[in-house]
Amino acid sequence: MKESNFYSDDFEQLIRDKTEQYKMYPSENVWKGVHNSLHTKRKWFIGSMSVLVTGILFMAGRELIAPSVHPIAARKTAPAAGSMGDLSKSSESSGQAGTLHTPLAAYRPVTAALNSRHTAGADNATEELDPGYKGLNITIGNPVLSQSDISEWLSHVVRLPEHAPDLAVVESKSAMAEQWRAAEDGSHPQDIARTSAEVVAGHREVVGETGTKDESDDVRNVLESLSASAASGRVSHPGARVLQNPGSERSSVTGKNADVANERGGASAKADAAAISEADDMQRINWLRDYAMNILPPSSKRGRTFLQLTLSPTLNYRTLNGVDPQMEKFGTTNTGSLNPSPGLGFEVGGSVLYRLTRNLSIKAGLQFNFIRYQIGTYATNNWQTQGMAYLTPYGYFVDSMRQHSTRQANQNNTMPPKTVVTLDNDYYQLSAPIGFELRVLGNEKLQLHVGATVQPSYLLSTTAYMLSEDNTSYDKLPSMFRKWNVSGGVEAFLTYRMGNIRWQIGPEFRYQLLSSYTSKYPNGDQYPITENLKSYGIKFGIVKPLP
Amino acid sequence: MTEEAILQGCLKNEAAAQRELYNRYSPKMLAVCYRFAHNREDAEDMLQEGFIKVFSQMHTFQNKGAFEGWIRRIIVHTCINNLKKNKRFNESLDIVHAHGVQVREETVPSIVQAKQIVECIRVLPIGYRTVLNLYAIEGYSHKEIADMLDIEESTSRSQYTRAKQMLEEILIRKKILTKPREKTEWLMAVR
Repeated sequence: MKESNFYSDDFEQLIRDKTEQYKMYPSENVWKGVHNSLHTKRKWFIGSMSVLVTGILFMAGRELIAPSVHPIAARKTAPAAGSMGDLSKSSESSGQAGTLHTPLAAYRPVTAALNSRHTAGADNATEELDPGYKGLNITIGNPVLSQSDISEWLSHVVRLPEHAPDLAVVESKSAMAEQWRAAEDGSHPQDIARTSAEVVAGHREVVGETGTKDESDDVRNVLESLSASAASGRVSHPGARVLQNPGSERSSVTGKNADVANERGGASAKADAAAISEADDMQRINWLRDYAMNILPPSSKRGRTFLQLTLSPTLNYRTLNGVDPQMEKFGTTNTGSLNPSPGLGFEVGGSVLYRLTRNLSIKAGLQFNFIRYQIGTYATNNWQTQGMAYLTPYGYFVDSMRQHSTRQANQNNTMPPKTVVTLDNDYYQLSAPIGFELRVLGNEKLQLHVGATVQPSYLLSTTAYMLSEDNTSYDKLPSMFRKWNVSGGVEAFLTYRMGNIRWQIGPEFRYQLLSSYTSKYPNGDQYPITENLKSYGIKFGIVKPLP
Repeated sequence: MTEEAILQGCLKNEAAAQRELYNRYSPKMLAVCYRFAHNREDAEDMLQEGFIKVFSQMHTFQNKGAFEGWIRRIIVHTCINNLKKNKRFNESLDIVHAHGVQVREETVPSIVQAKQIVECIRVLPIGYRTVLNLYAIEGYSHKEIADMLDIEESTSRSQYTRAKQMLEEILIRKKILTKPREKTEWLMAVR
C-alpha cells in the first residue's frame, strides 16, 4: 500500500503547523488542582493551627467551666447508698467494739457526744451499737467513701513508722496534753472535744504551710503525742471520744448533744470517763494514727505552668514610609488619604506560662489578630487589568482591580470632584507570641507585671489597599502582602488573684516590625513604600494554674 | 516577567511564578492533551497531572533546551501514561484496519482550520491517533514511540501509515483538503 497520497514531509509539516496554532484554555479548576497539590504545607499549617487553637480553647473551657478535681474528691461527691448500708450492717452485726475500727467504719465522720444515759432522749442508733459503744452517740455525717478510697488516700501521704521516732514534740502536742490535763482536772468535756479538733486542724495548717518536706515530721509528732497520751491514760477521758474527722466540714457535734454536755458539767463527765474503757480510747487513737492524718487535704503544691487566655480590643494605626513628600503634603492638606483613621480590632489567644522564678515567667502561645484601619479616599470607575495578581485560597490570579484615587480632582480642576469613600483595610493574622512576664511589684493578691513578646505572624487574609507607586491611587493587590511577618509587643498589666484564678488587665502595644508589603512586584520591580501596623489595646486576661 | 525569573520563582515554590508559568503554557499544553484524550475533561485531568509533574520536577530542568519543549515532553508522557491505563487504548494499538469511522458534518466544526484539523485527528481511533500525534506532531521517532507504547517499532510504523491514510480520507471528506491529484492546490489553499 502506498504510504501516503501526499509527500510525507508536507503532510506532517501541515499537521504540525496547524495543530501548533490551536490553543485551548483550561478551566480554573485545573489550576486549583495543581496549586493544591503543590502547596500542601499551607493546608497542613492551617489544619494544625486549627487543631491547636481548638485544643487550647477546649482545655481552657473545660478548666474554666469545670475545674479539674482530685479523683477522690470527685468520688466523695458521688452518691453511695451502698456505703450506708454497709455501715449499718457492720454496726448491727459487730459484736465487739473493735469492729468500729475497721477502715469502713473508721473513716466516717464520727461525732461522739455524751452517752444516752445522760441524755433525756437517746438516739435509737445508740441502742443498735454494741455494748462497748453505748457511751457513744455516733452520727454518720457523709458515709460516701469506700475502703478503696481510704487506701488511695493513704497512698498520698507519708508512711507511718512502726515506732514513732524520738522527735521533738510540736506545739500541737503540748496544747493537746495541756487541754487533756485540764479536762482531767474537771474541765468541761466539750473543751476536750474542741481540743482534739483543734489539734487536727492545727496540724492541717502546719502541714499546709510547711509543705511536703516537713509534713512527715509533723505527722509523726502529732501521732507521737497521741500515742504518748494514750500510754499515759489521758485519752481515756470521754472527751477523747469526740473525734474530729479531718474533713471537719462534714462532722459536727450535734447541737442537742452539745447542749446536754454543757448542762451535765464536769461531774458527769468524770463519771462517763470512768465508764469508757481504755480499749475504746485506744481505738480512736488508732483511728487517728491510721486515717485521721491521712485524709488531710494534700498540701498545695504551687505549679509552675499556667494557662493564660487573653482578649484585647485594639485601636489600629499604620506608619507609611517611602511616600513622595509632595504627595504626603497634598494628602495631608487635601485628602487625608495618607492619614487613615484608626479602626477597631481585637486580639484573642491563649498562652502557656512557665514560671522560671518567683517574679519571672516565660510564655508561648497562639493568637488571632484582627486589625482594621480606614482610609478616606475618592472613588473612580477605573477597572484595570495590569497583570497583577490577587490572592485567593488557590493562589494568585490576574484579575481586574478597582482603584481609588488619592486626589479629589485633577490638577487643573477640569474634572468634577470625585465622591469620597472610606476604605476598610482589614488584616486577619495568626501569630505565635513568645515572650516573658516580669512581676514588678505587688503582693500575693495584687501585682503589677510588665511583659514583652515577639510574635511571628501569618497573614490569613487581607482586604487592605496599597498605595500605588506614584501615590495617585489605592489599589487592591493582595499578592503584594507579606504572608509571614514579625511583630513585637509590650504590655503592662495588673493582676488580681481570686482563688486559683488570676485576672489581668492593662494596656498593650503591638508593632509590626516588617512592612506589610513585599518589596518587589511579581515582575521584579521595586515597590518603594512600606507600611508598619501598630495597635494600642487593653488586655483582659485570665490565668489559671495547669494541673 | 522573564522566563528566567519564572523559573527561579518556580524553583522557590512561589505560587505567583507558578501561576505565571501555567498561564503561559497551559493553553498550548491543553491542546496537546486534547489530541490524546477522549474528551476535554480527560484532557484537563492530564494537563493537571502534567503540570504537577512539571512543577515538582522543575529542578531537573538544566537549561539544555527550550523550556517549552521540556514541559511538552512531560505533558506528552503524562498523556501516554494515562492512555496506557485504559484497556481500550491497548487494544486499539493492535487494530490493523479501522472500520466504521463515521465522519459526520457536526463532528468537525468549520470554525478555524486549525481546530478542524485537530478535531479530524480526534476522530481517528485512539491507537492511530496516538501514534500520529507522537510521530507527526510531537516529533518522536518510531523507535521512541515503540518504547513509550510498549509495541514493536514496525507496529508503530504501520499504525502511523494507516492513521495518516485515514486522516487524509477524513480531511478530504470534510473538504478540508482536496483529492490527491489536486494536492498542490490544496496545499496552497491551506497555507
